[in-house]
Amino acid sequence: MKIDPSFIWTAFVQLLSAIPTTLMITAVSVSVGFVIGVITALFRLYRIPVLGQISTAYVTFIRGTPMLTHLLLIYFGLPVIIDGLSGWFGWGFKSASIPMIAFAYISFSITAGAYMSEVVRSGLLAVNRGQLEAAYSIGMTTFQALRRIVFPQALAFSLPNLSNSAIGMLHGSTLAFTVSVVDINAKAQIVASTNWKFFEAYVAAAVIFWGLTVLIERLTARLEKRIQLYNRGGVA
Amino acid sequence: MIQLRQLSKSFGRQQVLKSIDLTVNQGDVVVILGPSGSGKTTLLRCINYLEKPSGGEIAIGDYRVNCSRASKKDIHTLRQKTAMVFQQYNLFRHKTALENVMEGLVIVKKIPKEEAKARSIALLEKVGLAGKLDAYPSQLSGGQQQRVGIARALALEPEVILFDEPTSALDPELVGEVLEVIRKIAKEGITMIVVTHEMGFARDVANHAVFMDGGVIVEEGSPAELLYHPREERTKQFLKRITPEPSYSI
Repeated sequence: MKIDPSFIWTAFVQLLSAIPTTLMITAVSVSVGFVIGVITALFRLYRIPVLGQISTAYVTFIRGTPMLTHLLLIYFGLPVIIDGLSGWFGWGFKSASIPMIAFAYISFSITAGAYMSEVVRSGLLAVNRGQLEAAYSIGMTTFQALRRIVFPQALAFSLPNLSNSAIGMLHGSTLAFTVSVVDINAKAQIVASTNWKFFEAYVAAAVIFWGLTVLIERLTARLEKRIQLYNRGGVA
Repeated sequence: MIQLRQLSKSFGRQQVLKSIDLTVNQGDVVVILGPSGSGKTTLLRCINYLEKPSGGEIAIGDYRVNCSRASKKDIHTLRQKTAMVFQQYNLFRHKTALENVMEGLVIVKKIPKEEAKARSIALLEKVGLAGKLDAYPSQLSGGQQQRVGIARALALEPEVILFDEPTSALDPELVGEVLEVIRKIAKEGITMIVVTHEMGFARDVANHAVFMDGGVIVEEGSPAELLYHPREERTKQFLKRITPEPSYSI
């Protein structure tokens, strides 16, 4: 078999159309996952009865099972639940009308949430307890103290790990092809099989993924620079 | 006026405060002395509920809180009536000196930003940091950080400022500048409770001294009396150990 370098470019151009799908899956799962992560991390740190235990169970179960399994569970399980509820309440809504990509959004958000819960928790724990005490001592409520004092610092601590999670989700989004969502990788497969040039198409896909990852890295570096402004002093 | 009645605190089975009674009048500067583990810091932290007392009563002005059934509102009120200066400064690390002082005014007291800023600048000038408004804590020396901490406490115009060993974490040469600031604001008649090991400061600035050991107040009185003519054996022992005797000769 001969390699056709010029086809890499042809494939590359065709793959561009799938970038928005990949980016959307990544963006949705990372942002919803972040919200889930913050909430569950707080439930666990403050040992809220019931909710704390549920959060812990959620994190261990999701981190203990593969992302692909989550997707398949949601893909096959959610319609059953929705149709069941719909029939029960007579909503006249069929799960078949849910777009495929919605399953990817839901399942990957759940996946990302569990990993980010740990990231956020470690960030919150890294903030010196004295910061919270100082906030209390000037009369802040717990909510004010968390929002104004603890979170900004926790975010700075967790930024490297958050960017790791985001990159993980970007790459993980390729699994969406199992529920027939055409992301970059799936598109590469389509382009490859119609032209019978697999290697070239996947090289093009790899280049695009790399480019997107570098983008995330750059973005993080920029944020980090801004957030960590206050750390640069030399004096203890 | 601050009044503590039968204030007690236990960590698990260990009782660290045993029914403390203490009255601090308006404008008093009270120093609390005692060996480590005597409960002096815990006492201070109980007053603004950074530690939850196990029982007793705290009154600030005419606001009384029964510690065995303090509500969220009680705790919030106590914290608004007090301010604390910490041993480790605990400045908000991601905020500049100016922002540290403004934070409480803007967020807690809801004072308009411009006014809060003007007041904060004036306070930072008072503690000698007019040139460091935009410096982050990591760019300040320990003494400077602690002075920002004092400005932050002053900004809230609390009824009492609690100082928890404000100079213990400082290099010896920086202790003076912080004590000087505390001395200055003491003269303005601000009520203070100071946990300290600085005997000279206790003698010169305080008008009331308390000696604690083992979770109880062993002895209290005027600083001169307590430092130079202690009545209790335990106080004498403690003072002997921390005031070096000029017994050696060269």
